[in-house]
Amino acid sequence: MNGKSMHWVSRLAFLGVAVGLTAGFAVAGAAQSVSGKAYSTYVNTPLGSSGYSPLAVLPPVSGTDGAEADAAGSALNVAGALSSDFLNSITSGELGTTESGAQSTASAASVNILNGLITADEVVANVMSSVIQDGAFSNADGSTFTNLAIAGVGSITGDSPVAPNTNISLPGVGYVVLNEQIPSGDGVTSSGLTVNMIHVYLQSLTGGTCVLGICTPGTLTNTGEIIVGSASSGATR
Amino acid sequence: MLTHTILRFGPGLAAAALLAMACQDSTPSTSVARKPNFWAGPPPQCPAGKWTGGGRIDPPGNYDAVDEPSGGMPPRYSDGLPPMNGKVTFGFNVFLAADQNTGQCFVQKGEIQVNHHPARVAWHVSIHNGVDDFDNATVFAAVFPDNSGRGFCVVVGLPETFMTARVNANRGFEKVQFEACDNDRGQRQNSRTDAMRWRASGSASGDGGDTGLTYLTGGNIVEHGRP
Repeated sequence: MNGKSMHWVSRLAFLGVAVGLTAGFAVAGAAQSVSGKAYSTYVNTPLGSSGYSPLAVLPPVSGTDGAEADAAGSALNVAGALSSDFLNSITSGELGTTESGAQSTASAASVNILNGLITADEVVANVMSSVIQDGAFSNADGSTFTNLAIAGVGSITGDSPVAPNTNISLPGVGYVVLNEQIPSGDGVTSSGLTVNMIHVYLQSLTGGTCVLGICTPGTLTNTGEIIVGSASSGATR
Repeated sequence: MLTHTILRFGPGLAAAALLAMACQDSTPSTSVARKPNFWAGPPPQCPAGKWTGGGRIDPPGNYDAVDEPSGGMPPRYSDGLPPMNGKVTFGFNVFLAADQNTGQCFVQKGEIQVNHHPARVAWHVSIHNGVDDFDNATVFAAVFPDNSGRGFCVVVGLPETFMTARVNANRGFEKVQFEACDNDRGQRQNSRTDAMRWRASGSASGDGGDTGLTYLTGGNIVEHGRP
């Protein structure tokens, strides 16, 4: 990983406390919080591993403050498992008297998973969560694949979204979930969303035999995973 | 009025500064920038606001033509800047403050990250203690209501000084300007109403251009903490 950097800002704690105690504490109460995280790639396979990279995590936010964090990498290569470049992760969040929220973006270009089994010119994960007086909500608008191809399955041309939680079998490998969306919160006072644009689950079959025409099924075991383009956001009041 | 003043001084100065920077060395200046005198009349009010947001735009699609000239901002592609089209992702956080003598708005601290994906260019602006980390200059800002009447916009890096961004990790520095509009303040967020604009000189990136004010494809922009 090259060119990695991270920055964040947050307001002085005493200012946040002062604001909370004087003006906006009834709205921006102690329970109010926002969270955000974004990373371009994660690899955990028998072929090799790489942690969340580049990882951007929203620093603590208090009072009526905001913060931003970002991280970048020029290239990543885990031989046989994943290669990619122009990796960027951004997250930001804010607490306000009328609205609080967080938004995160992760992207990766020139994606090649498992020696060409899955390729994409670019993947962008984009999520936001917001809480206002009327409720809490999240969405993944702006999450797309550019020229995605899965060997033996098909491809999409151009920059397009894919239906949430599209599950595709990868015979002999496992399966992949495209635009995997994991919501959280009650939709009233809290909401959160994680989107993993490409989530490969590696599996192997163990056991299972056939004797005299009588077969016993084997057991599928998870042996690893690869994630490309992951963004999370959450807001609670 | 704030909007009229920017209208009178903005476009010409933008052209001069951005084009001038395109021909300069990308090494950041270490000198303290002088404070420009934008305001011919009484100084404008500066709401000590805080702005945070992020997401994605896809210019030239979702062009916010109505709000773009708000506050006297120049039309897109003016000042000699070409279109900057295609996928742009960003995140930012800026805290504004007013100069005690002039009332002029400046950024007390902030971070702005913008990525132009087709060109694989990433800009980063970092501001602490009222000055840009990369040129030690004050970063001036303005807040104004947008033409549609739906909300407010902030411009960071006013003409004459603009602000200096680092390009990728090690490709040098160049002058840039950022604008964001919060058009659904306190209401259910709608990506198609908030908007963002990015202008870069291209002196270091080779990717100078202007996105034009563009509705978000996804994400959110929030003005928060305004008194």
